[in-house]
Amino acid sequence: MSDVTAGPGAEPKPGQKAIFFDGLSSRRRQVVLTLGDSLEIAEPSDEQADGTVTRWAYDEIRRVDGPAGILRLTSTAAAPLARLEIRDAALSADLVARSARIDEHQTTGRGVAKIVGWSVAAAVSIVCVVLFGVPLAADRLAPLVPKPIERRIGDASEVQVKTIFRGQACNDAAGQAAFRKLVNRLRDAAGLDDDAMTAGVLRTSVPNAFALPGGKVYVLSALLDKAESPDELAGILAHELGHLKHHDNMRGLIYNGGTSFLIGLLFGDVTGSSAVIFASRSVVEASYSREAETAADTFAIEIMHKLGRSPKPAAELMFRITGKEGGSGLATILASHPLTEDRLARMTREDRPASGPPLLTDTEWQALKGICGSGKI
Amino acid sequence: MNDMQWTPIGSEPLPPPLPPTRVDFTGDRTEFRKMVTKGAMLELVTFGFYRFWLVTDIRRQLWSNTSVDGDAAEYTGRGKELLIGFLFALAILVPIYLAYFLVGIEFERWQGFASTPLFIAFYAFGQFAIFRARRYRLTRTVWRGVRFWMDGSGWAYSLRAMLWGLLVFLTLGLALPWREASLERYKMQHTHFGDLQGDFEGNGWEFFKRGWWLWLLSPIAVVIFPLAPFFYAEFKAREWRWWLNGIRIGGVSLSSDLPHNAFYGLYWKMVGWWLLLSTLFGFYVGGATMLVVTLSGVPAEQLFGPGHAAKSIPMLGLMVIGYFALALAMNVIMRVYLQRDLWAKVLETVAVHDIGAAADVRGSGELASALGEGFADGLDVAGF
Repeated sequence: MSDVTAGPGAEPKPGQKAIFFDGLSSRRRQVVLTLGDSLEIAEPSDEQADGTVTRWAYDEIRRVDGPAGILRLTSTAAAPLARLEIRDAALSADLVARSARIDEHQTTGRGVAKIVGWSVAAAVSIVCVVLFGVPLAADRLAPLVPKPIERRIGDASEVQVKTIFRGQACNDAAGQAAFRKLVNRLRDAAGLDDDAMTAGVLRTSVPNAFALPGGKVYVLSALLDKAESPDELAGILAHELGHLKHHDNMRGLIYNGGTSFLIGLLFGDVTGSSAVIFASRSVVEASYSREAETAADTFAIEIMHKLGRSPKPAAELMFRITGKEGGSGLATILASHPLTEDRLARMTREDRPASGPPLLTDTEWQALKGICGSGKI
Repeated sequence: MNDMQWTPIGSEPLPPPLPPTRVDFTGDRTEFRKMVTKGAMLELVTFGFYRFWLVTDIRRQLWSNTSVDGDAAEYTGRGKELLIGFLFALAILVPIYLAYFLVGIEFERWQGFASTPLFIAFYAFGQFAIFRARRYRLTRTVWRGVRFWMDGSGWAYSLRAMLWGLLVFLTLGLALPWREASLERYKMQHTHFGDLQGDFEGNGWEFFKRGWWLWLLSPIAVVIFPLAPFFYAEFKAREWRWWLNGIRIGGVSLSSDLPHNAFYGLYWKMVGWWLLLSTLFGFYVGGATMLVVTLSGVPAEQLFGPGHAAKSIPMLGLMVIGYFALALAMNVIMRVYLQRDLWAKVLETVAVHDIGAAADVRGSGELASALGEGFADGLDVAGF
C-alpha cells in the first residue's frame, strides 16, 4: 500500500527507481537513485521522512553478472553481496559512464592471453620433464632403490604373476638341476651377484619368459616346450638377465609412474582425454621400453659370445613363437618390443660358430625339457 | 490477485494463498554456444587448463539468467579459485597416490590382487570430493544478495554413500532410490539459504515406484542398444522430477511436472551428432591418408607397413589433430545440449511455492574453499 501513496509524482525529479539488496538480508528494496557527487541510494519509507540513504562513490562501483537488460552493480565499500539492479537503459548508460573503474575486475582479453601463456609454459615444462627429466630420474634412481624394497615389489608381482598364469613351479629334480646349471653359467658370465637371483619354470600354456624386480627370472613351460636346443633357451634367459642387470623393472616403474602422472596432469579434463592420455603414454613408454629391450638384446649377445655360443637360436625361437610381426606403421610405433624380424636379423648378424662347450649335455637338456613332467597342458 | 503478482513488488508481505511462482530462464542460446566454442578452442591451446575458467563462465551465464520470483541468481565463483583448489588438491593427492602404491605392494605380497579393495578408498575420497565441491558451488550461489551455504561433514557423507553403495551393489541396483533419497536428504538438510534451512522430502519408495520397470527392462537396453538412450533419458527425467519435487528451503518448496519423455530429443540429438561427427572423422582420416599418399608418393600399404615409422609421422600428426577436433566438437555439443538445453528444459517445468518465506532472510554462512572442486577434478568425479 505504501507504494501507491509514494507514487512517481511524489518523488523529486532526478530520482530514478531501482531495486536494492543490502547484502545483509534478502529484502527486495525499492530505492530511488540520485546521481550527484556520489551515487545516492534512498529508500523511501513511511516512518521516517527521508528514509535511509546509502552513498556509493563512483570509483568503488563494480559491475556484477546479471541477466540481459539489467545492470547489476555492487560497491567495494559495501557488504560483499550488496546489489543494485537498474532496468532503465538511459540511467544504466549514465551510471556506467560515471563509474570509471566499473569493469576493472573483469577478465579481459589480456587476462585470457595470460592464462594461455602460462598454460603453454606449464605444458612445455611438463613435456620437457616427460621427455628428458623422467628418463634421467629413472636411470639414476633405479640402481639406488634399496635391494629389500626391490625384492618386496618383486614378491608382490610374483604373487600376481602366479595368480594370472595359475602356474605352479615345476619341480622335477633332474630338470631343476639342469635348469640351475644353465642359469648359473649365464649368471656367472653376466656377473650378477648370486644371492640376488632366483629362477624357475612355471607350468602354463603361454610361451613367454620374464624377469621380476629383485632378481626373479621365470620361464613359462610352453616356451620350454617350443625350445629345440639349450642355446635357444639360454639366449632368452640371457635377455632376461640383461633386464635384471640394467634394473629395467625399477626404471620402468619409475618411468611409467612418472609419465602417467605428468601426462594425466597435462591433459586433465578435456573430454575424451583418457584416450589421448592412453595414446601418448603408449607411444612414449613403448619407445622407452623398446630401448630397454634393445639394450637387453645387446646384453644377451655379449653373454652368449662370452660363453662361446651364438645368440641366433634364441631369435629363431622367438620368431617361431611370434611369426612375422610387421603390422601397420602405428603398431610399430606402439610396440613395446622391437619387431621379432628385426631382432632375428640383428642376432643373425651376430651369429658366430660355436667356440665354447655346449651349455648343457643332451641328458641334461632332456631332463630340463621334462621339468614339468610329461603331462602336456 | 493475478495482477499483483506481475508488478515488481516482491518485498511486499503478500497474503498466504499465492499462486506458485515460475522460474524463468532467459539465457541466449547462441551466446552460450559461442562461449563454449571459444572455451573449447582455448582449452585446446591451453592443454585443458582453461577448463577452470570455462566452467566458471558457463555457471555464471546459467546462474545469472535464471530468475526466481523476478530476481536473477548470481554465481560469484572465479576460475582462479578453481585453479588454486586444483593445485592444492594435487599437493594432497600426490602423497596419497604414493602411499596407495606402497600399501598396495604390501597387500600384493600377501596375496595376489588383494590390493584391489584399496580402490574403494578412492571411491570414498571421490564421494567426499562430491560433497565438498557442492559446498563450493553453493557458497558461490547468490540470490537477492544472500548466499547459499552448507554445513555437515564431507566424511560423514562419504561414509553414508559407501554403505548405501554397498547395499545397492548387493541388491543389484534395486536399493538405488533409497540411496539417492538418503544422500539427498543429508545434502539438503545441510544446505542453507541465509538463515533458512533446506530439507528433502522425496523418499526412496516414490522414486522406486516411478522407475522400477526401467530397472527390470535394463537388460533389454543392453541387448538392443539403440534403446539405451531412450531408457537413460526416461530414467533421468524421472529422477529429475522426483528430485525437484522433494526440495524444500525453509517454507519454500519446489514442484516440477517434467514429462517423462522430456529428454528423448536431447539424447537423440547427442547420438545424431556423435554419428555425424564420427562419419566426418572417418572421411577426414581417409582424406588425410590420400593426401599423404599423393604428397609423399609413398604407397598406402607402405605407409602403414613395417619399418616406415618415420614416414608415417605426418599421418600420425594428422590423426591427432583430427581426434582433438572431434573431442572438442563433442565437448561443445555436450555442453550445449546436456548443460544448457537440459537446464532450460528442466527449469521451465519448475514452480516455486510460498516464495514469500524467502522475502526477508538474514544472510549468513562462510565461503568454502575450492579444494573440493580440485579433488573432484583430480579424481574425475562429478556430482550435483
